[in-house]
Amino acid sequence: MNILVTGATGFIGRQLCFVLAERGYHVKALCRKTDHPYLIHHPNIEPIKGDILDKASLAVAMQNCTYVFHTAAMAKMWARNVNDFQETNVTGTRNVLEAARDAGVQRVIYTSTCGVWGPTLKYPMNEDDPRVVGFPIAYERTKYLAELVVKEFVNQGMDVVTVNPSRVFGEGPITDSNTVSKMISGYLKGKWRIIPGDGGQISNYAYLDDVVDGHVSAMDNGVSGERYILGGEDVSFNEFFKTLEAISGIKRGMIRLPQRVIKFYSRFEALKTKLTGLTPVFLPEFADRLKFNQKYSSQKAMNQLGYRITPFDEAMRRTIDYLKTH
Amino acid sequence: MSQLTAIVTGASEGLGKAFAIELAKRGINLVLVSLPESGLIPLGKYINKTFDIRVDTVELDLTHDESPTEIFQFLKREKLTAHILINNAGLGNWDLFIDKQPEFYRTQIELNVIAPVILTRMFLEQADDQVTSYILNVGSLGGTFVVPRKSVYGASKAFISYLTKCLQLELTGKNVKMSLLSPGGINTKPELLVINQQLKGIAKATIFEAEDVARIAIDGLFKGKKEIVPGQANKLLVGLNSVLPGFIKNAIIKGKLKEHGK
Repeated sequence: MNILVTGATGFIGRQLCFVLAERGYHVKALCRKTDHPYLIHHPNIEPIKGDILDKASLAVAMQNCTYVFHTAAMAKMWARNVNDFQETNVTGTRNVLEAARDAGVQRVIYTSTCGVWGPTLKYPMNEDDPRVVGFPIAYERTKYLAELVVKEFVNQGMDVVTVNPSRVFGEGPITDSNTVSKMISGYLKGKWRIIPGDGGQISNYAYLDDVVDGHVSAMDNGVSGERYILGGEDVSFNEFFKTLEAISGIKRGMIRLPQRVIKFYSRFEALKTKLTGLTPVFLPEFADRLKFNQKYSSQKAMNQLGYRITPFDEAMRRTIDYLKTH
Repeated sequence: MSQLTAIVTGASEGLGKAFAIELAKRGINLVLVSLPESGLIPLGKYINKTFDIRVDTVELDLTHDESPTEIFQFLKREKLTAHILINNAGLGNWDLFIDKQPEFYRTQIELNVIAPVILTRMFLEQADDQVTSYILNVGSLGGTFVVPRKSVYGASKAFISYLTKCLQLELTGKNVKMSLLSPGGINTKPELLVINQQLKGIAKATIFEAEDVARIAIDGLFKGKKEIVPGQANKLLVGLNSVLPGFIKNAIIKGKLKEHGK
């Protein structure tokens, strides 16, 4: 059976290719460069050159595919051209769904994000909860718009299951979208010394292997048109770094930077970026987010997909071991 | 202060949702009104569990003649008195007058003009004069400036502006406070953000996040402000409006339109 994976060089996509290949599927790994260093080599993985913004390449790649995993996205904080988010995340998703429909693909599994909900007010968010703030962050906005595109195709009768991972971390290369691994590896090297705010801000951290298993399970057991949060434990910055310190055995003096200071600094970054076009370290819309928790419940996925959460400290241990040897 | 109850129309999305959350944060019970199938019920459930306040949801179409009556009958049945009315529901558009069907304008006037008039009238009827009542009418800077492609929408907001200012005079000395909210652009639906993010300069400064507008508006409402204009750039525009000659105002609007119309 053939399965196409878009974003096959991405943090989730590459591991997903590997797990599917190990399960005996023939995996067509869509990537813009077939010699990409993050692409996993495996007898069942066939690299296919293509681009989700090139419809013709999608049509070719999807021939004889039973399932399509659409994990490709622009997940960065910032892009030089703000329209790139719209193009890659919204138009790209439309292209993939159109091509899948035309090729008669049985099911598409679309990788969205918990960012479509964003901040939490009190209790962990579940799939039925509404979004409580606006969409100043381009990534979250365009992923939300992409979900509207998915809904359009589902309403036309197409089989699409959406999964919404939270902040994913685990064994894999440190990419632009992978801010958690950046933080961990920075801490290990002594380059990351900051705890934002008072450290009490809580986020949800999902372990890569769990998220990948959740994807596969969405293919087998997901219900078309449904969304499934694939998260992990809700952990504060303080707990995060305490766990990191305990497991790595490396103690660093950490500086707690008040949210106001970060916001102030982020304005300079925004101005710098505007004037010079250089990549910003941090932007005001992300500084604003530090005032909120981002807690999510994976209960629905646990009930309906058999989703399992690896304990945070175990996931951290494996990630640290990986980062120390790579 | 005794427990207050607020009616919010158009509560399922955008600014209405932001009003609902802002009022809930202040411990005010809610009667949320919106179209069926607009996500109102899950929103009500979410606000209820998050804030420990009473939330009732009424799904109906405010362009139907009987809808305002149904809302207040519902309140009566539930033995509720509303102390706050947020006339937020509205239908906007951005088209040349000729490009929309007559039926669209009928709906727009029914929702933007008739519904708030009738709701305000019925609200005052049931108001408890022992407690201060509040009415917030959502107008628009478009009610102040004449903007092409906003014909009926702008006219409906000018109507709301006149209505509010007139009732403010009539209600002098009564235990009712009424405010007009005149926001510039608001990032309500993310679909609109795609356009708004292309704006620059003063046009960009007039655009606000819904949750910020809601917070500023409710603060102003409780302070008894007659007109609430969120943001310095918008205040400046309103200030300039009263002193600048007509031809300069037209030039500013046209300049703003050019950026917006891309």
